[in-house]
Amino acid sequence: MKLAITTTINGRREEITVNPHQTLLEFLRDDLKLKGAVEGCSVGVCGSCTVLIDGKPVSSCLTLAANIEGKSVTTIEGLSQNGELDPVQQAFLKYQAFQCGFCTTGMIMAVKGLLNAHPHPNEAETRDYLSGNLCRCGTYKEVLAAVKELSGS
Amino acid sequence: MSLVGTNVEMVGGRAKVSGAVSYVADMEFPGQLYAKALRSPYPHARLLRIDASKAAALPGVRAVVTRNDLAGLNPYFGTGVEDQPVLVIDKVRCVGDIVAAVAADSKEIAEEAITLIEADYEELPAATDLLEAAKPGAPIVQEQHIDKRAGGNIHGVYRASSGDIEQGLKESDDIIENIYKIPPVQHGHIEPHVVTALWEPSGKLVVHTPSQTPSPLQEQIAKVFKMPLNRVRVIVPFIGGGYGGKNHARIEPVVALLARKARRPVQWILSRDEVFLTGRRFGAVVKIKTGFKRDGRLWARQVEAWYDMGAYALSGPANTKNAAIIAGGPYNIPHRDYTTYAVYTNLPPAGPYRGVGASHVCWAYESDIDDIARRCNLDPLEVRLKNLLRENDRFITGEAMISVGVSECVKQVAKSINWQTGAEQSLRSDAKATEQSLRSDAIVRGKGLAVAIKSTSTPSTSAASVRLNADGSAILLTSTSDMGQGAQTSLAQIVADELALPFERVTVTFPDSDVTPYDKSTSSSRATFHMGKAAQLACDKIREQLFQAGAKALEARVEDLELRDSRLQVKGVPEKNLTYPQLFKAIYGEASGSLFGSHTLRTEGGVDAITGQGKGSSFWFYSAAGAEVEVDTETGKVRVLQVASAVDVGKAVHPLQCGLQNEGSALAGLGSALFEEMLYDNGQPINSSFLDYLLPSMLDHPGEFKSLLVETPHPDGPFGAKGMGEAALPPMAPAIGNAIANALNGVRVRDLPVMPHKIVTALNGCKERR
Repeated sequence: MKLAITTTINGRREEITVNPHQTLLEFLRDDLKLKGAVEGCSVGVCGSCTVLIDGKPVSSCLTLAANIEGKSVTTIEGLSQNGELDPVQQAFLKYQAFQCGFCTTGMIMAVKGLLNAHPHPNEAETRDYLSGNLCRCGTYKEVLAAVKELSGS
Repeated sequence: MSLVGTNVEMVGGRAKVSGAVSYVADMEFPGQLYAKALRSPYPHARLLRIDASKAAALPGVRAVVTRNDLAGLNPYFGTGVEDQPVLVIDKVRCVGDIVAAVAADSKEIAEEAITLIEADYEELPAATDLLEAAKPGAPIVQEQHIDKRAGGNIHGVYRASSGDIEQGLKESDDIIENIYKIPPVQHGHIEPHVVTALWEPSGKLVVHTPSQTPSPLQEQIAKVFKMPLNRVRVIVPFIGGGYGGKNHARIEPVVALLARKARRPVQWILSRDEVFLTGRRFGAVVKIKTGFKRDGRLWARQVEAWYDMGAYALSGPANTKNAAIIAGGPYNIPHRDYTTYAVYTNLPPAGPYRGVGASHVCWAYESDIDDIARRCNLDPLEVRLKNLLRENDRFITGEAMISVGVSECVKQVAKSINWQTGAEQSLRSDAKATEQSLRSDAIVRGKGLAVAIKSTSTPSTSAASVRLNADGSAILLTSTSDMGQGAQTSLAQIVADELALPFERVTVTFPDSDVTPYDKSTSSSRATFHMGKAAQLACDKIREQLFQAGAKALEARVEDLELRDSRLQVKGVPEKNLTYPQLFKAIYGEASGSLFGSHTLRTEGGVDAITGQGKGSSFWFYSAAGAEVEVDTETGKVRVLQVASAVDVGKAVHPLQCGLQNEGSALAGLGSALFEEMLYDNGQPINSSFLDYLLPSMLDHPGEFKSLLVETPHPDGPFGAKGMGEAALPPMAPAIGNAIANALNGVRVRDLPVMPHKIVTALNGCKERR
């Protein structure tokens, strides 16, 4: 049995069908072939599958695809406009706030969520907000530097 | 302009921030199937019966493989020791051993099929405790691969010595003796192990895998399937983190077997709990005894260390052998006697993890240095500086040490954390807690230092091939993997400088065994040194051809020519020059064609397993760490206020990336110091998820985190560079441990990780003794 739902993905209204048990991450990766969100832990603690729903970061591995009905989903693929990187992506590049890159898309989406809700976070708030995005390469200092610049502080 | 030493934009950076990198799991192939495995629930058991017929009959299942599918293959593989079966044959040796595997149209069908496989076992007594496993009479894990003279599950005994240990201990003014424990930890690469295998109609096997060792992996797979190397193609895209966890063949052979039987591409992505069953750091027990003079000179040191390899050896014997040489640290000690044991257990297999072998002994020897300083009432920094290796000192292997930056590393670290020199200052910590707290009396602060030494894989081979195009662009063909350390970036910098090309005009391939030549591995921090040097020498061969042709065309002597700004020109007469298209025309008669330069670098060395004599490493790397902590003496909670990490990199080819490697390594060291530990209950893993096994998060990352790069050039490295990726991890745990002991006036926890309850127990023990 499939569910027909209406949703918005990266700014485009879509009429889609999903399996009731399918996670949003599976739907994005397997059905839409959007491979930017990746699976790291499958229990919602590593943050590498982070996408935005109505501007707020969620772990897409813990979200059912059916729950995006009527909502707006933004993935890493939806950030750059006309080939121009989003300011968060630019800041990550400038500070080289990544190494292997596997957690990076989730980290960037979490930073988007942070700045959507709190445009000027201090360092302690940033650390707290991003503590659910794990980077085993340990590139946290550079992420903090990127966020600091983006927050204009 | 020289690119080496500058922070060019990381190759692949734009793709990484855009989500446009194709990791192995992101690639799909027409007709692709999905794999799943039945794994052993027991640490040690005979496999009596296996029946997969019901699974095979399930609609959507395209192949099921068990031990019955191994006919005609070499069923065992391994790095040095071929002790791991593609699928369990006679008995399971650890929880998670692969008993059967399925390839199906979907993950769901594969999962269902697994539940239909019937397997009967006869449980056997299991060797799950390291020291017990090493004793005679222990249940034997690998009957064919143990050293019968050593007893128990000991696979190999490795020794290194100098002087006369008995005499040295007798001559010492004082002796301390301690036992340290180091638990297994997870690599924690966020990208799980993943493999896609397919067989082309011609019979060629293609394997896509995030491997740090594509060339040895290709050899291992070819051997299993009894095929020539040119029929096995291993392709490695960007890797989502490795840290040693993606060395060696792991699940590649079984996925290839499934793909052969199904005649379809098969992909297997491990779940996180399966990753925990697939690799880990060795657990170890280190017994260390040190005799010293009252003035702080180390006089005699004896170390015995047991390394738990788990059920399969992988690189365990080589790593354990290397550990024997460095068991006492980067110190001059007249009398030394070090022994290490590589031990099989019925735990899931261990393998190299960042700082392999070195972290274990470093925790012991560096904790002991601080205890010795305290006994002598000396500054621990002073004790280190008094004993550390200096340029041209003879090491325990008999070799003269060169490019020794360890003293500089520890000095810089000490300065960075405002180390108070002198015994009065450094041994007594009376600093107050930073945070306002009603319980501030319970909170104490301390600082600690540590140093480390590690070898790189020696001897070893790296081959590089450079292809220069007529338009003045070049491509480096290399089997070095890029797993975030930025190998493609730094190798491109080296090639660009050698051929006087702009950075954008040089690209570096991903490993692809159809195209790229042999390389031992992207591990043991060896890529920049070995592959960088091989690439440099490959460029030399292109330069020779260019200079010969240019000398003729410009009517100049070869020695009067130079490559500059994409041109070959006469020194001092820049208007007499040839561009690359002109050079190709001079060589081939037209501005087309390819110029090749290739070089196979083979390092010499290796040490004798009995005497420990020889050349232990093609380069040695050195590092130091410093930490300041706050300890709550009532709860045992530790807060790391600041850390500093110094690594002697020889020459920082890309200083920013060196800094990132340094920080990442140091942060992983912090995790292993304070909370990382894989737990087993009678061989059953009990914390195999990131919910139960904590990785350092941004909240664990200290507010003050200084990365320091020391540059002591190495004559054999490209531009003087040495490896550095692992260097910062080993000293971080003892630096933090020493800071905690400093805060607690010498009370010390010797079992990693230093969890709060251990601190409280140690403090209570001290009170009771009083």
